[in-house]
Amino acid sequence: MKKLFLIALTAALMLVAGQVMAQTSIVVAQDDPPRMMNPHGDDSDAGLQYFANFFDGLLQRKGSEGTLAPALAERWERLDALSWKFWLRKGVKFHNGNPFTAADVKFTFERLSNPEVSEFVNTGKSIDKIDILDDYTVVIKTKDPIPWFANNMHQIFIMDKEDTESRDPGNVMVRPVGTGAYKFVEWVKGSYVKMEANENYWEGAPPIKKVEIRPITESSTRFAALVSGQVDMVTGVPVELYDKIAANPKVRVVSRPARRSIFLALGNKPGTPMADIRVRKAMYMAINEDEIIEKVMRGHAAPAAQIPDPPTIGYRDDLKRMPYDPEGAKKLLKEAGYANGFEVTLSGPNDRYIQDEQIVEAAAKYLAKVGIKVKLDVKPKSIFFPEVAEGKLEFYLIGWFDGTFDMGRTYFKLAHTRDKEKGYGELNGANYSNAELDKMLESTADIIDIQKREKVLQDLNKMAMVDLIVWIPLHYQVDLYAVLKDRGIKFEPRPDRWMIYKEISK
Amino acid sequence: MVTYIARRLIQGFIVLLAVSMICFFIFRYMGDPVITMAGRYATFQEREEVRRIFGLDQPMYVQYGRFLWNAAHGNFGKSYVSRVPALGLIMERFPATFELALFAVCLAFSTGVGLGVLVSLKPYALRNRLIMAGSLGGISIPTFLTGILLIMIFAVYGGLLPSFGRGETVQVGFWRTGLLTLDGIQHLILPALTLASYQLAVLLRLTRAGMREVMTQEYIKTAWSKGLPPRKVIFKHALRNVMIPVVTIAGLQFGEILAFSIVTETIYQWPGMGNLLLVSIYENDQPVIVTYIMLASVIIISLNIVVDILYAVLNPKIRYA
Repeated sequence: MKKLFLIALTAALMLVAGQVMAQTSIVVAQDDPPRMMNPHGDDSDAGLQYFANFFDGLLQRKGSEGTLAPALAERWERLDALSWKFWLRKGVKFHNGNPFTAADVKFTFERLSNPEVSEFVNTGKSIDKIDILDDYTVVIKTKDPIPWFANNMHQIFIMDKEDTESRDPGNVMVRPVGTGAYKFVEWVKGSYVKMEANENYWEGAPPIKKVEIRPITESSTRFAALVSGQVDMVTGVPVELYDKIAANPKVRVVSRPARRSIFLALGNKPGTPMADIRVRKAMYMAINEDEIIEKVMRGHAAPAAQIPDPPTIGYRDDLKRMPYDPEGAKKLLKEAGYANGFEVTLSGPNDRYIQDEQIVEAAAKYLAKVGIKVKLDVKPKSIFFPEVAEGKLEFYLIGWFDGTFDMGRTYFKLAHTRDKEKGYGELNGANYSNAELDKMLESTADIIDIQKREKVLQDLNKMAMVDLIVWIPLHYQVDLYAVLKDRGIKFEPRPDRWMIYKEISK
Repeated sequence: MVTYIARRLIQGFIVLLAVSMICFFIFRYMGDPVITMAGRYATFQEREEVRRIFGLDQPMYVQYGRFLWNAAHGNFGKSYVSRVPALGLIMERFPATFELALFAVCLAFSTGVGLGVLVSLKPYALRNRLIMAGSLGGISIPTFLTGILLIMIFAVYGGLLPSFGRGETVQVGFWRTGLLTLDGIQHLILPALTLASYQLAVLLRLTRAGMREVMTQEYIKTAWSKGLPPRKVIFKHALRNVMIPVVTIAGLQFGEILAFSIVTETIYQWPGMGNLLLVSIYENDQPVIVTYIMLASVIIISLNIVVDILYAVLNPKIRYA
């Protein structure tokens, strides 16, 4: 009898233990493997999402809307055009037990300008000086007015000065020590990243105690791992596999409109056909975006009439796409003196955006229908993007979303006339240039009042999309995730596609 | 023999130099790494500064000379992407690839030769004809399809074997092995089978052809007529003579599997060198690509030499001048 009781007790305990384990751990197959664990060495969203679990920024982006919220700084203020004051949170400790103070903030921002360890060289170099007022107050002064400076503080992760300086640089590259919701356990490159909850996290311990991330780049393998129950959820469901995955009764597909818009950029070199606004309009009208979404994107995209997405400063909800009208396009071309069309080279990457090559091909076919002869020039992103940076192209497909949720920075980068001295227009790959737009854009940098600035950016957006047709907008991508139903995971995707495990629960 | 080996080593060295030059120059034209290294929002000046710091502003021959000099000192440069030494990054992945390749070649060799002998004894039996037809499949079905089919059957529908990764591994010194845990071995089965399928078929067909030829030879007839047991005739007298081309091919294949199991490693997310190479090509990480190709050449060249030596051991008739 006693023996039976013992057996029953053990069984019950094991059952409870099993449940506790099941409740608090998660295995996720992600489509983007981490490249390093040095939080400043990778400025891609694929990399930042890993760092964001181990580290905190001064500020953070929260939840499904990406609202800017306090993190290591409790509040912040723009004192004047150049100065930003941050009041730091007290009592926060790094994973190694060191307290977090203003010295760590200064150390972090100074580290950014060293290209050997940082891809945020631009942010680092834009800082003039950092004043430590006391252990928990800093003022950061920039060289030029940067209205979106605070908006970017969720991407700059604070490192422990003492710890980072004392360790070998190679070790810093692979072992993160931050203040974040999760402590680093182990990273076997190509196999997994393991992390465990930081029970002393300043925001409260995260609900999921153990996280194991399995990077699987091959989409069919990722799907097989999910369906065979080896992982609880996957990121990055390809549109080709969507129907198959959605039909599986064990799996729930979670989708979310992505922030990234896909668009075509056109040059306007004087004397070329595309310098004529009628030709730009005709090209816009010639493209059947609804059909691209239906056939190429298989329904997983939303039409775009502008580059920014709704939460971005500068977005206007009154912009509408020009309707698809090949006859009207032909008429406009005739008016502009190109009744027999003209020749243009359309470039694009083939390994960067969802169905990028197919979109470029479709666009070429639509343009051919109104008489424009399009030469296709599609290549890997490692060759394509340097060409954009050098301004060698005349017409190309690109995608964008701004991590700062502020169109100002993006416009300086993509639409301002290329200017080596001032550092504008580095990714204006087709050398678009309009003096009026440049002037209006430069005036926004000094406006401190947020509402006023937003108004000007909205006007700028309208001018670019309606009056000048700087770009032909196509669509916003959709992010797709798949979760095993029986694992009871509560998960809401973020607009920036980061996997932040403290926001997930079971 | 010694002069022969010395000559082979010198040849190998020249090949290595040529390989390094070709891949160094080709991958420099694969795109500009500075764009990503400086970050998306870098200005023109910041980009130029990064270029200077990493020495990418210098003429190609200076860069190549510096690369050779450093390589001679065992320094193959740092990865542009993860900013740690490229050689270390690759060597970290080596155990995974080596274990997979070794397992696959052992599987291919034992099964391939075994079936080859079996088939050659009664070439027209129905079972043996089926085996031969199957081997055609092994040769002609591409690896990625074999891989996906095996995953579908054993992982998705059967739920018998894991479909990706290495499973539980144990760190023994610098070597991370998956051979010491049951989980690790289960994870090894499907990728090894995928990798072995082509090699197995080749070895099978090679053994069969060789055996059929040798079995008609006079000395085999003599052996039979002496009344030797079949085991001795087949394995000692016949198979030993067939083994020379088979070992050559198996050895060369081992090098190939070690260096280029990229497809299999990608399908199974096997954390080996091939997987790293593919990711590095995708991200244009030139130091890692160049180091990898150099390393692969070293492996293939040395295996060639080892196979030549094995030749002599297996067949004393072969002598090197």
